[in-house]
Amino acid sequence: MDSIVVSPYGVQAIQVLTILLGAPLVSGFISHAEGRMQGRRGPRILQPYYDIIKLFSKETLVTNDSSWVFLAGPIVAFACYLTVPLLIPVLTTFPLPLGFSGDILGGGFILALAGFSVALSGAESGAPYAQLGASRAMTFGALIEPTILFVIFAVALITHTDLPYALSATIRSSASQMVRPSHVFAAVAFFLVVLVDTGRVPVETHSGTLEFGMIDEARTLEHSGPPLALLKWGSTMKQLILYTILINVFLAPWGLASTGKVSSVVLAVAALLGKAMVVGLVFAVIDNLFSKLRLFKITEFIASAFLLAVLSVLVFYAGGG
Amino acid sequence: MSSLPSTYDGVAAGLSLLVLLTEFAMLRAPLLRSQVRLYAFQSLVVTGLALYVAASKHIDELFVLAGLSLLLKVVVVPSLILRLLRDADTDLAGSSVVGSASAILIALVVAAFGFFAVGSLHVNSASLPTSSLAIACAIVLVAFVLIILRSDVVSQAIGFFSLENGVSVASLVVASGLPLIVDIAFLFDLLVAVVVFGVIMRVHHTRNATLSTSDFDRLKG
Repeated sequence: MDSIVVSPYGVQAIQVLTILLGAPLVSGFISHAEGRMQGRRGPRILQPYYDIIKLFSKETLVTNDSSWVFLAGPIVAFACYLTVPLLIPVLTTFPLPLGFSGDILGGGFILALAGFSVALSGAESGAPYAQLGASRAMTFGALIEPTILFVIFAVALITHTDLPYALSATIRSSASQMVRPSHVFAAVAFFLVVLVDTGRVPVETHSGTLEFGMIDEARTLEHSGPPLALLKWGSTMKQLILYTILINVFLAPWGLASTGKVSSVVLAVAALLGKAMVVGLVFAVIDNLFSKLRLFKITEFIASAFLLAVLSVLVFYAGGG
Repeated sequence: MSSLPSTYDGVAAGLSLLVLLTEFAMLRAPLLRSQVRLYAFQSLVVTGLALYVAASKHIDELFVLAGLSLLLKVVVVPSLILRLLRDADTDLAGSSVVGSASAILIALVVAAFGFFAVGSLHVNSASLPTSSLAIACAIVLVAFVLIILRSDVVSQAIGFFSLENGVSVASLVVASGLPLIVDIAFLFDLLVAVVVFGVIMRVHHTRNATLSTSDFDRLKG
């Protein structure tokens, strides 16, 4: 089996498939673990797959007032989430052919486009809560943007490029890269960004049904059937994409395939999903330890993330990072 | 400049940054008690930094200093202030003029100024990375921001004490071989400040039944 080598394009396709098919698994694992920590049995780990399959067989309802944008939004977002795994190191240490078609900023833009199209689609429904969610998601998305930029600056300063592959390689190159203050702070800031972007606890409760506290969840309230399936699937994919960037670019870029051999690619898929589940466990613990912040306190949370990202750049310039 | 710092430099700069972060956390803390605890934690990190420098650079006097600062700044001063607070039974810090997100942004701008001001001086130290001096300067400046923005005696006292922590970090950077007597003199300065602030807190609270400094303009004979 070791003699079979997957071509780089093949590996790239497997990267997309890993994110596509593995995302509901990671998401299901997190809700299961969360349930266990709260003394419940929790949903089955495979539950998100069943949900998605069920939704695909349901009919699509569209309000009278909404236009084609309402239905196009989920599809555009899903396409965006399928594009990002081409640009980031999901499985390999070596850059793949299409990996250079966009840098970390390009990936960020595509993720932002996905968020924008979901918000637009929610706003198009004309329902008050979906519009509230869309408007809030865009507001907090805009507030977290400076933090993301400063994290990217820190990455760019450390590696002299803004390619995610390069930072991943830099961190693997030496253990002292891990204790570099600028790297530690950028990583923690990115961790907080992931908390905000995946709508986890200090910012938003995942399982709540109270519309007034909702941000991301509220956007999809009016969708049904296959578009809702795409939205749910898309949000699990977004979560896994952000986890992958956090793991493979910042925290633990080990266990990646260094060749295209079948065995090492399979191992890399397993390693990625395993690491994503460990990160998911951390998020589940945070979910159980903290309570949701009041909506107007979220700016303070975002300000702390921004503080970390800026300090990371500053300490680099001061020569200690 | 962009070359990889050594592990020693990285850890030292990381610890100094932790001190700076605690300073920012004080800016955010709404409870007076949590502010005092943050100060104790900050002093603990400064002690850790002193120990780390002492152990890696074999400067024995720093061990003594670390022990003294552990005793005074982590145990004695915080417990004194906490006792004063218990008598005053006030929990919340005086609301600052700006919200805490804006306060953090203001402090960030001030800290960036400190970083670049020190960065342009090109000071080199044998014992700690240059960035620690920049961070120490930022700590002092953010402590000033805390003193200026908060309007109660306890926050201002804590701001002043944590300013001393910033100075400690700076003294570790610039001269970790500073004669022990000078360092101890610094610590006793701190004790004098504690006494002064303690008296202010007591007198202000017994006369006006508040810890807020906004009433200070009414202190007429």
